[in-house]
This record gives sequence, C-alpha cells and structure tokens, in this order.
Amino acid sequence: MNDDVIVCRCEEVSVGEIRKAIQEGARDVAGVKRRTRAGMGLCQGRTCERTVIKLLAEELHLPEATFLPDTVRTPITPTLIAALLGERNE
Amino acid sequence: MSKGVDVIVIGGGVIGAAVAYYLVRAGVQTMLLDRGDVASGTSSACDGNIVAIGQRPGFDSQMTLESQRLLEVLVEEMDCDVEYTRKGSVLVVEDESQVAFARSWYERQKQAGLPMRYIEGDAIFESEPLLARDVVGLVECASDGALNPMAFAYAMIRAARKGGAVIAPFTEAQDILVDACGAVKGVRSRGRILRSKRVVLATGIWTAEVARSVGLEIPIIPRKGHILVGEKTPIRATRKVQELGYVMAKNPETGKRDVDRETEERGVALVYEPCESGNFLLGSSREFTGFDSTCDKRVLQLIAKRAVRFFPCLRELHVIRTYAGLRPFTIDHRPIVSEVESIPGLFIAAGHEGTGIAQAPITGQMIASMIAETKCAIQPEALSIKRFEVKQQQERMV
Repeated sequence: MNDDVIVCRCEEVSVGEIRKAIQEGARDVAGVKRRTRAGMGLCQGRTCERTVIKLLAEELHLPEATFLPDTVRTPITPTLIAALLGERNE
Repeated sequence: MSKGVDVIVIGGGVIGAAVAYYLVRAGVQTMLLDRGDVASGTSSACDGNIVAIGQRPGFDSQMTLESQRLLEVLVEEMDCDVEYTRKGSVLVVEDESQVAFARSWYERQKQAGLPMRYIEGDAIFESEPLLARDVVGLVECASDGALNPMAFAYAMIRAARKGGAVIAPFTEAQDILVDACGAVKGVRSRGRILRSKRVVLATGIWTAEVARSVGLEIPIIPRKGHILVGEKTPIRATRKVQELGYVMAKNPETGKRDVDRETEERGVALVYEPCESGNFLLGSSREFTGFDSTCDKRVLQLIAKRAVRFFPCLRELHVIRTYAGLRPFTIDHRPIVSEVESIPGLFIAAGHEGTGIAQAPITGQMIASMIAETKCAIQPEALSIKRFEVKQQQERMV
C-alpha cells in the first residue's frame, strides 16, 4: 500500500503515519490509535481497524490473528446526549 | 551485562516521560522502563488539563502555574504538535449561594499570582454564549490550557530518546535491588539485572505495588474518573469550563453544592473541554473502585445530566465514545515528588491524581534538580514522602 493512502477516514490518517507509529513502538491497535488518532473518529475504527491490523502484521512480520480488535466501549453507535439521558429515543 | 546507567525511571506515562526528558536535558544518562507500551495507562485515559484554577490557592496552584511556564518552553524545544492551546479556563458560578465562595477563590488565586478575572452580568454570555442563562458568574484563569496528553507523553519520550535516553517498553521492573548498605543498585527485569545507583518510581497508581519489593508502604490508591467523548462540532465553548462545584467535589472541606445525593456520592461535576481536534470531552466523576476501570452507565448519565444543566445545547450533540481512567490519589491531594531517605538512590514521582498532565513538566524538573542539582523554581519539601512516614509512625505509636 502506498504511504499516501488514507486509512482512517474520520481522522484522515494515512498508511505512512500508521507505519511510522509502528516503527516508533506501537504494538497493537490501541497503540496505533494513541499515536495517530486512527480509530478515534465518528465510526470508532469500524472502517479502518482491519487495515490497521493488516499494517501491524506486515510491519512486525506477525500473523494478523496476533492482533485483537480494540476494546469496544459504550456507546456502540454515536448517541444523542438527550437519548443517553432517556429524554428522547434516537 | 552493561556498565549501567545513571538513572532508571520506572513508568513511561506522562510523569516518567517528563522525568526522563528533564534528566536527559541535565546531561544524565537515563533508561526508561515500562511493563507495557508507553503512555498506555492513566495517561491515555484522562483529559488534557493544563489547569491551575481548581488547585488549592497557594503552593498547589503556584506549582501548576510554574509548570505552565515550563510547558511553554518545552513545547518550543520539542518542536512537535501536542495540540496545545492556551485559551484560559473558567469556573462557573451556578447560583447566588456560591458567589461568596467564588469571590474568595478568585481573590486567593490572584494573591497566589495567577492571572485571574471575575466575570459577571452580560459579560458572562458574551464570553461563553452557550452557557445556561441562569448562571451568575465566571472565575477565569488566563494561563490555563489543554493539550493531547498522549501526544505530549510521546513527544517527551521521543525527545528523551533523541537526547540519548534508552527507552525500553514491554520491560517490566520485577524488583528494585539494594546493596548491603540498603542503597539502590539496580532493577531486575526479565531475569536480567539492569545496574543503576538511582531509580525513580513514576509508577502512578501502581506505585504501592512496585515499592513493596523494597518494603515501602506508599499511600497512593486508584481513584476512577469517567469521561465522555463528543463528536466533532462547531458548537463548542471557547475554553475549558468547569463548574465551581468541581472544586467543592474535589475538596469536600471547601463547601457543599446543591445537587442530589447520587451526583454527590459519585463525585460528579461538570468538566468540559473543547479539544483542538474539534471534539469535546465531558467529565467528571471521582470514585474508589479499586483497579476496575470499566465504565458505569449510570455515572455516564449523571455526567451528561450535569453537562446539559450548564450547556443545554449539548442535548442535540452526540457522544461517540466513553472511557474511565484510574488516577493516583493521595489523601492530601498532593503528589509525592521526593527522595526516599531510608533507601538512598530511590526517588518517587507519583500521586498527582487529576493534575499529572499539568504538573508533569514541574515534576520532571524537580526530580532532575534532586539528581543533577539543576535549578528548580518550586521547593519540593511539601511533596516529600516524609509527611506520610511521620503519620505512619504516629499510627504505630497509638
């Protein structure tokens, strides 16, 4: 993959930035995220997580199965604060 | 194995990163260990507070003010984007019953040297148009700001490495080793002995566990805090906004707010942070739940409720993520930045609770000044471990 390709669309993080984060010490999806913001956006990694795992596997010469998805946290989808308060349905 | 280094720093969070940075800057050969990835514990589950306003007026707020001064230089030196903004912060005065306390807080912080302003009347809403129309005042500190705590920690670690420090993530310190005279001689890690006559514990909530290997009881315990992450939006306050009641929730001795029992018990108070990324963060809560860092939906709701009380417009915005972090709490709300006299060569830099990001630079400089005898603007006596040793001895005598 070319370094210029955007992997995380929400935060506009490129392949090159993710490779650099791995070279600097990221060893899992969360480590890449902390260093680059990949996966911190509106979709919370739904679009980019698989690609981030592929890049980790490629850079670290390990099977993809080594890398687990990041911890899932509430809310599962973006939630209106009014709905969180039970004032309204989404 | 090797001939050793001058100092081993255990813990690669924001405090360990700052300690390593200032040691390297003072010309000290430094090695930094972390049992996991750097900046993956408390420093990655917090907000980016660079805020002095809520700190006890006097030594504590001055320590943060000095740290803010250091940060300005640090950010220039590191020449790297840590999403730092310095737009000030405000405490919101909720109703007339809080005005006297707000006024005295403003006066005391001003006397301590903080750049303070008291805002009332229409000026409140000119200053923060999104606030609920019934609030009666704002106490502002112009030197406050925010940054991305992870980017900050990584930047300091990168700079320390560039300056010659050895950075060793995924390298757990199993034991601190002492010689026949009881002085530090190194660290055992993964079966190897790393030699050093000085060890700094920048181990946050894990300090008690790590220090036990040398028979020390360090009174730092985890205190949980929840945070909600809001979507990117142009509908944002201009600066960090906290309710004055946050100061009260943090230090119960300062007074009580008019809130329901659940909100009080779970230590919920508004902390709103507009991030440089376009998102916003909502906090806060303070609870003792051991090492459990899972999110409690009820607490998240209480935080959201408090947030819309001050910012009604937030109802129409989305939360995209939530998390909880464990902060290193000490009973007197002060960190331990200290040498340990009974074990020559051992130093502690931990226990900052919610001020670790803000006080990282000054903490790094203090430890460097103890080890390399460089200058430091803040005298560390008040942060000495001795204050607890004395208490422990008293308890034993009783």
